[in-house]
Amino acid sequence: MPSLSGALAVAGFQLRRLLTPPRLAMAALGAVFPAAVMLAASRASRGRLDPDLAVVLLYVLIPEGLCLLGLLVTMCPAVSDELERGTWVHVTVRPSGRASLLMGTFLAAVVWTGAVALIALGIALAVTKVWHPETVAAAFTGLIMLSCIGRAALFALPAVIMPKRALVASVGVAIVVEYLAGVLPAVVNQATVSLRLRTLLVEWMGWRRKLPVEIQLLVDMQPAWVQVIAVFIVAAVFLTVALFILERRQFPPSEEV
Amino acid sequence: MIEVVDLVKDYRAGDGSVVHAVDRISFEVAAGETVGLLGANGAGKTTTLRVLATLLKPTSGTARVAGHDVVADPVGVRRHLGYVSATTGVADRLTPREIFTSFGRLHGLDRDATATRVERLLAGLDLASCADRPAGRLSSGQRQRVSLGRALVHDPPALVLDEPTNALDVLGARDLLAMLGQLRAEGHAILISTHRLHEIEHRCDRFVIVHMGRIVAAGTRDELVADGAGLEDAFFVAVSRRAF
Repeated sequence: MPSLSGALAVAGFQLRRLLTPPRLAMAALGAVFPAAVMLAASRASRGRLDPDLAVVLLYVLIPEGLCLLGLLVTMCPAVSDELERGTWVHVTVRPSGRASLLMGTFLAAVVWTGAVALIALGIALAVTKVWHPETVAAAFTGLIMLSCIGRAALFALPAVIMPKRALVASVGVAIVVEYLAGVLPAVVNQATVSLRLRTLLVEWMGWRRKLPVEIQLLVDMQPAWVQVIAVFIVAAVFLTVALFILERRQFPPSEEV
Repeated sequence: MIEVVDLVKDYRAGDGSVVHAVDRISFEVAAGETVGLLGANGAGKTTTLRVLATLLKPTSGTARVAGHDVVADPVGVRRHLGYVSATTGVADRLTPREIFTSFGRLHGLDRDATATRVERLLAGLDLASCADRPAGRLSSGQRQRVSLGRALVHDPPALVLDEPTNALDVLGARDLLAMLGQLRAEGHAILISTHRLHEIEHRCDRFVIVHMGRIVAAGTRDELVADGAGLEDAFFVAVSRRAF
């Protein structure tokens, strides 16, 4: 089991590693991109962008798009970065080094991506006309945090199963699991984060009664608190499986760069 | 302190064949002793050390550190072992103080114990003057001392070093080896692997020469080296005997 101090120590040095000019520039770009798209959409509609449509667009851009991209960059290299930098051996010879590495990287990925997404939300809301911006801000804060927790845990699996191909595998997982299986009205989508987030968006924006019948198939019928708990359960399962696999991984010296 | 008995580690190669990286190796290192693990590239030195460090699981045989088995009690082994490798893996953006502190916390030391230990390491490893300088601006010798300090942050009784002088110049290597001498005098058990024989010829109590995964000679320098010859000659004799 990871120690809290170990996970926090790893999270601390992962966050410090992220504070490089290229990473900060990438984060700044990510933070302003949704606002730029909202401005472009508003201009294209000559200032008459439907406020509900604006919320849907914000949802696609931030909790789905930006969070997913941020987590791909920060969570996928959890193991491969350590192998390439030659730090894998030094971290994993500690008593709970492997678990601390995974949980610390998970924490850093959630904090970094969540912070960038929240800044992006603030900037985007400042330039977008929506009904009850404070309600939208509160709902999206929750959606961003749940998206980060759920997707970071999901990407932990490719990160430990195939470290050197984690980015490609994670993109595949995101497309196949989250966006293809996630929209199938079947049991398979119950384990996806995207179903829970879509349902929460509908619940928190009060759209449940407004939805056309065919769109209702794409959301879950259970109340919001069930969706929140489901995201935490899915994340816990993914992380537990990833920890189990990581504890057993062996990398011959030749696999390290 | 370090015991290896009939250790075997096999890998499966890309073509499906089995490679015997380590083949029934046995040796031990007592407290206050330095043992040199010698061998050419690919002899099995790094694999042996990584099994000891619990990074790899043995195919068969046993390895123990301070009485803790690497398979049955890997956490016990990690609490009693420090590991240094040729690639320092020192983060450029972090300072020596930050690195020691992070790894102290990673080891579960509390804040006060970590702070005390960090100050002692910075002074002992002659890093006090650059304690708050990013590691990317340190010399290779200083970076390797940071790596050594990171391995010593929890004050382990056993130390395993995998070709620690590879990236160092003559002065840096001598500096590091002198520090290892101090650690031996303090009672640490030290196992050092290298193929730069001249550096450790007079610094180790015993040597274990491995070739193609097997021990081909072992003993003190006097036992291995013929009159007028050097350790390098003894190494070639041992390896040649095995090869033909």
